[in-house]
Amino acid sequence: MPDNEGLMDRFVDRLPETAFFKFVAARILTPLWAWWTPVKPLPGGPHPSFQHGDNVQCMMNLIMPLKDKSPVGRAHAAMAISQHKDAIFAGLNNVGTVHFARFVIVGDNICMFSVYDGDFTNYIRDFIATIGEVFDAVVGLVEGGEKVIPCDKNVEAFIQWVHERDLYQVPDTPTDFLRDQERLNGDKAVAPVNDDLTLLPRKMVLQLRANANVSLGSGYRAYPGYSVAQVRKQLGLGW
Amino acid sequence: MFDLSDLQGNVLRGYKDKPYVRYLILEIADRVVARRWLAAAISGRDHDVPQITSGDWGKAKPRTCFNIGLTYEGLRALGTPGSSLAMFPNEFIEGITARALKLGDVGASAPDTWPSPFNEPKRIHLIATIYAENVAQLDQVQQRALDRNALTLLGMREGNNFDGDFVHFGYRDNIMQPRFEGIHDPERHADGQPLAPLGTVLLGHPTNLEGLQWRVPQPTQLGHNGTFNAFRVLKQDVVGFENYLDQAASDLLTHPKVDEVLPPGGELKVCEVFEIEPPSRHAALREVVAAYLCGRWRDGTPLALSADMPDANVDRAKFDYDESSRCPYGAHIRRCNPRGGHIVQRVANNSRRLVRRGVPYGPAYKRDKSGDAGKTEPERGLLGNFIGASLGAQFEAMSCDWLNLGLQDPRITGSNDPITGTNDPATSWFDLPLKSGGTIRLRGLPEFVSTRGGAYTFLPSLSAIRYLGSLTA
Amino acid sequence: MVDPPTAKRLVQVIHDNLPAPVGERRPVHTIGIGVNGRFVASEVARSYCIAEHFDGEPVDVSIRFSNGLGGLEQHDGWSDVRGMAVRFHLKNGTGSDLIATTLGEFFVRNVDDFFKFSDTAKREPFRRRHWLLKILDFLQLKIPQRNPYPGETQAIDAGALRYANQHRFSQLGIFQVGLIGAPASYARASYHAVHTFWVTAPDGVRRPVRFYWQPVAGVRNIKPTPEPCEKYLFDELKKRLKRWPARFMLMMTIGEEGDTLDDCTKPWPGTRLRIAMGTLTLTEIPEGEDQATAGERISFNPCRLAPGIEPSNDPILKARLGAYEVSREMRGGCPFKWRADNA
Repeated sequence: MPDNEGLMDRFVDRLPETAFFKFVAARILTPLWAWWTPVKPLPGGPHPSFQHGDNVQCMMNLIMPLKDKSPVGRAHAAMAISQHKDAIFAGLNNVGTVHFARFVIVGDNICMFSVYDGDFTNYIRDFIATIGEVFDAVVGLVEGGEKVIPCDKNVEAFIQWVHERDLYQVPDTPTDFLRDQERLNGDKAVAPVNDDLTLLPRKMVLQLRANANVSLGSGYRAYPGYSVAQVRKQLGLGW
Repeated sequence: MFDLSDLQGNVLRGYKDKPYVRYLILEIADRVVARRWLAAAISGRDHDVPQITSGDWGKAKPRTCFNIGLTYEGLRALGTPGSSLAMFPNEFIEGITARALKLGDVGASAPDTWPSPFNEPKRIHLIATIYAENVAQLDQVQQRALDRNALTLLGMREGNNFDGDFVHFGYRDNIMQPRFEGIHDPERHADGQPLAPLGTVLLGHPTNLEGLQWRVPQPTQLGHNGTFNAFRVLKQDVVGFENYLDQAASDLLTHPKVDEVLPPGGELKVCEVFEIEPPSRHAALREVVAAYLCGRWRDGTPLALSADMPDANVDRAKFDYDESSRCPYGAHIRRCNPRGGHIVQRVANNSRRLVRRGVPYGPAYKRDKSGDAGKTEPERGLLGNFIGASLGAQFEAMSCDWLNLGLQDPRITGSNDPITGTNDPATSWFDLPLKSGGTIRLRGLPEFVSTRGGAYTFLPSLSAIRYLGSLTA
Repeated sequence: MVDPPTAKRLVQVIHDNLPAPVGERRPVHTIGIGVNGRFVASEVARSYCIAEHFDGEPVDVSIRFSNGLGGLEQHDGWSDVRGMAVRFHLKNGTGSDLIATTLGEFFVRNVDDFFKFSDTAKREPFRRRHWLLKILDFLQLKIPQRNPYPGETQAIDAGALRYANQHRFSQLGIFQVGLIGAPASYARASYHAVHTFWVTAPDGVRRPVRFYWQPVAGVRNIKPTPEPCEKYLFDELKKRLKRWPARFMLMMTIGEEGDTLDDCTKPWPGTRLRIAMGTLTLTEIPEGEDQATAGERISFNPCRLAPGIEPSNDPILKARLGAYEVSREMRGGCPFKWRADNA
């Protein structure tokens, strides 16, 4: 037994695991600290970078709440995708920069997850040009979507709308998340600073309150650094 | 035919006979006085204020030309209504410094290293450009422009065109501009590229992406027929460029496949064209490297048409790229505009075209082989304008995906533009294609061009200037 | 390279911060075990690096696994950085070393930072935080200070945290140290050689790279307990190797334009080209006097590199060149050839 450990020490060490403390942390402490030390939502999408490895195999994670939150609404969404399968695949082939793209329904949200090369706005803009009709069909089913369709007549607003729904990508290292917060507040200092590293858990909690859905890390890549066309060319598939 | 009198003249004209160009970087000193100044500038009567040159010169060619662009901060300073401001595209609202990563403005090009007045981007409201036949005219127009204390001069940049349309690095420039549907353009001849839809360069018209139109800030008279300009001060390291040509030529000289890029004896013809005395294989290979990096020989001959020799008889404008083309996929002009060539983003062919207006600054460089290595060279570069109806879909799309990332072709992905890219000699590379297939890879390219300033501006139509001049709030 | 007095000072600073003198032992990574193994390069390794051990021929390898703590006491179960020093034996009798730890990045950028860190992060009395203060931490949604291990009366934790709070570049390293835990086995941890090196390919192209080892068996830590087992890692490894060899993949990440080449506090992102350079197989643990040679007298240096690999300008890497030699001399460690002619 560690020398000076008392009953209260043992009790307090286990406190965070108790239902009582979990309740207090979630329902009282978190809202309290969110009010006292407010946190801005961090922007979604890949971290801006000019480096080429960061600009291939980028992730888009869209979570779009359906207007009709019922099996009927979900079926409409499923139909919208399946009816347009040909259009989607032809569009993906001709946009030429998409590694993977998936549609998923999770709890009354239609989600679109994709891995693409290059700049996000170029990717969406080229898509509007090729499969704008599909976007209109899907986005029309989504809360707030009516404001940005038809997308080919609302290009800038549509791209912005999609960007706002793209999930924040929590950095791979815990402290880079602090750097994201600092950058958002215009703080570029390195040293000397007066931080409190033990506050990292609270900062993470409050950030996840501001950005309820996030992508954890920038994701694993089996062959990082290669574009769609490089992979297809190397494999002899044509590009 | 489209009526050009509502456009500012510099959108579709190059003012070729006015080689002296001065940019006045201005801050609006007083909103009310500035509005009056704008109204006077298009009145056609008040000649105390320089008159904005329109796209229709009428009978008499003006002796000097005068055009303006407004930044987002400038539109705000004039009191443009918030609902109108919000309709401008994000990239314009954020301004060029916020877009640095997309443009490759990092390291020596990073906005926080830019000199005055570009170190205070929020103060830059208006950029006025004077085009004239001589410096005295520039001074005279400048004085009239500043006379009424509507605007505070934050700084200026000045350049002049060299004889024969040559620019620093020694290339012949000003060969190509897009030609537009519905615009009569007697100066240009067919270049084999489709006519660009008017929406490529003017808001409110169809674009090259089928069915897509950019948002026109309202009221219509403000946004319609307006366009955007990326103004860039691009410093060129002329000595570094010439030194690199030396180094690359020396490396090539001993390369086993060098005959494929310069046939034996070919040096005589190359040296003759470029008047190099005495002719040598090394000197000719310098020109070969320069040609491959750009996609044109320094006399303007496109590699797509004549890869072995510069040839004054080929059409400098009319060519296309196909799989047999010997123009490198990564050559500067092919990256900027892959024309009808096969690219990854097929839908983007022809959609990122720009009107380019550039003028060199700093004295022309004379290569001196006597080896004055220690000499400090004056700053040289290009004052560039890259004009298009959507900065995001054209200038930025070209910069980030094509110039910096090389996404358009898997054979160049991961390399930067050899001439304008943010290159680091430790990792940079560039492939010279060979007739036999294969390539010769050049390495160690440094950064030849660095950004020393710039701004995103809106080039309003004359109706828009009239509207801004009449604001009262 | 730092001057000899600075190299001496670097080592002295480490000695000065020890709980008790270690005699002629290493002042950090004191407790360790020597292992023999073989390395076989992957079929692509030779196209990136001309160094002999990447040519595909199997190479004999000496490895020393260690606990990070300085001092003669063995605390395998404590949360601590672990080391994996590897020597590839080359045909002419020289070697190429690769020194890695379970920490993915270092916490100081250069020698000056290191001295300042050492000033701030001194060993201090370490007591259990009072439960009332812990409740206060919980109310602020903070992590309270960890509990001391049995018998742990001093630690540098508080000083290291102070340093991290003042220097953002150090925060990642110091934060990660706090979470690092204890591995279930030396063969079940990832080890990172945090510095950038330059490798030369057969066509003369030099590339900036970083190396790390990944255990084929997977990464696994033990569950933290208030009274951790003090000694299990050596026995575990002996038993493991009697049953089957343990393997590691050597991965090499290639840096690109804009990546930090000379700052080991900044890890490179996972979006860089990643090359599988080969497989290391641990084969046996020398016994008796052989173990003393393999585990204790052996001396490594991160700058002892086969032709084809060069150190970057990372000031910490350069400082280690001298500091490791000073430390070796101080403890009478076995000198190892830098050149085939031993000049």
